[in-house]
Amino acid sequence: MATAVGSAAPLEASEDLRRGETWSIRWRTGFDRWIGFLLPLLFLVAIVPILDVVYYISSKAVPTLTWGVLTSTGDYQLHDALGVPIESTFLFVLLATVIAVVLGLFGGVATAEFLPERAAGWVRMSANLLAGMPSVIVGYFGYFAFCLYFGWGLSFIAGVFTLSFFMTPYIFRTADLAFSSVPRPIREAAYGSGARPTQYILRIGTPIAFPQILTGVFLAMAIGVGETAPIVLTVQPGLLVPPTLTSPATYLTALIWTGFSQPPSVALTIAFQAAFLIIVVVLVLNIAVRIIAARYRKRLEGLYQ
Amino acid sequence: MNSTPVPGNPGDREPIPSSSPPAVSRRAGVGLRQRIWQTIPYAPALVPAAIVIAIALTLVSASGFHNFGWGFFGLTFNSNLNQFGMLVFIVGSFLTAVPALFLSMAIGLGIAIASTTYLPPFLAKILDPFVDLLAGIPSVVYGIWAFIVIAPIFGTLINPWAVAHLAFIPGFGAHTSQPVSPTTAGTGLPISIFVLTLMALPITTLLIRDALRSIPRDLWESGLALGATRWEVVRRVSLRYGSRGIWSAAFLGFGRAIGETVAVAMVIGAATRLPVNVYDSSFTMASFMFETLDAAYGNSVYLAALAELALVLLAITFAVNLLGRRLVSHIYAEEVPGL
Repeated sequence: MATAVGSAAPLEASEDLRRGETWSIRWRTGFDRWIGFLLPLLFLVAIVPILDVVYYISSKAVPTLTWGVLTSTGDYQLHDALGVPIESTFLFVLLATVIAVVLGLFGGVATAEFLPERAAGWVRMSANLLAGMPSVIVGYFGYFAFCLYFGWGLSFIAGVFTLSFFMTPYIFRTADLAFSSVPRPIREAAYGSGARPTQYILRIGTPIAFPQILTGVFLAMAIGVGETAPIVLTVQPGLLVPPTLTSPATYLTALIWTGFSQPPSVALTIAFQAAFLIIVVVLVLNIAVRIIAARYRKRLEGLYQ
Repeated sequence: MNSTPVPGNPGDREPIPSSSPPAVSRRAGVGLRQRIWQTIPYAPALVPAAIVIAIALTLVSASGFHNFGWGFFGLTFNSNLNQFGMLVFIVGSFLTAVPALFLSMAIGLGIAIASTTYLPPFLAKILDPFVDLLAGIPSVVYGIWAFIVIAPIFGTLINPWAVAHLAFIPGFGAHTSQPVSPTTAGTGLPISIFVLTLMALPITTLLIRDALRSIPRDLWESGLALGATRWEVVRRVSLRYGSRGIWSAAFLGFGRAIGETVAVAMVIGAATRLPVNVYDSSFTMASFMFETLDAAYGNSVYLAALAELALVLLAITFAVNLLGRRLVSHIYAEEVPGL
């Protein structure tokens, strides 16, 4: 074809060629433009469900949700009273977060600071495996280990530990990541001026890494609040805020699980209200995480200057 | 403080802090006590590995090495007769997770390409967090929403339409034992696939987006300079360049889909037999384990069977996650809640 252009080819042939080219270019650029218009529409697949979930749950829950409902500590199986579930959930998440922070934070710091690269790789892999583990398996582990082998029964404390094991990898990973991403010059300056590892970790590393660790804790809490299987499998439903560690207890997500398929009733109303509260908590925590993370990134950039 | 480089410690992270404890302990004449003291800083790092091992060991011991023989992979599940054929649930898991994976990969690819290539950056910055937020919504909330809002749509519109128009495909027609009528609640395989697609979407989209972003600018620009359109560069260059990341998205998305528990348990309809057509109720491994632990209380053989099913699920998710994480270089799929 190229020779045809150079030689004394008949005029029609070269015009044919040009027409063919423009047709193909038009098709290619047109396809590009259309696909560029159509592909972004796929965002609707994500955006419509999320908006519909939030809208639908709110529209069901908000009209019935009053301050009295949130605070009344009556029997939640008979009346629309969320005081006990909210308080129990708060206790669950608080204790589980404390345990998970103890387990995960030190682990993450040790992995980032002390472990040689190879060993750290293995440890990180195991943290990833733990984070990718189905919640039902963690629940089974809690049931067999805590409820049966430890003899705690289906109790509050078994649920707390199961939940904390579920949350640990998230805190571990952010602690590891936060300490790994402390700017290298700062580490070198600290160690170069004779800091011991403890001094470096406590006085230099922690202040710099703290915001990111906080995001990890918030994320773990958001995940913990929304988790169902570890609690349902290891805790017996109870009507009171757990008075002792081995007493039965209740959880907001467990109320959704028991109420979702009921005909319109107190259980269903409570299920919607619990779902709404969980969405609110999760969204607030997620937004807090985003704000902290954005500020943290700016601060890290500032540290480099 | 320590000028000798540590052997076997490549990589760009400085060896100073990581080497300091062993450098001391390797010195001659250090007592056992001090050596034990030196290892204490390492100990907490073992927590995640210890938990993983503890979980695996607990499940193994819970199974009691109870040998079900090949009957374990049989099709008859009847706890009253102590017949624990678990293949039904394994099949159910794959029947839901595989289609959901394909859907979420296709949608995720589209979204990732749109966000990295076609959308103006400011718009992508606004829209991307929506996909990430999908990961933040708890599965039980998806479950109640899908059960009450989406299931009737499947039951009254989508399933009857598919029966009427797609019946020529084997498995898509009505079945005598399970006629699809507009009055059915709509629970079953299709809505489970729908829910799983939504739940796998954030992780697949995120990883594909990362993979597409990792393409060097020169490659992108030389593609355009050669006269290729953006679509052609994406298809011929970016997708090949990021193929590892995309495979990793597929593996991790599959891990997420097959392990999803509560949302699926709410919408799959609970049937302990093989589905007779694509609209039928079923059970996945995870949702079955979740719903039947109560029923197994006190029956040691039943509990052992469930623990062994948990081990099967654990093995599958481990394999999938290991493969998926091996394929990408970055350690964590971070920056997004819980991925």
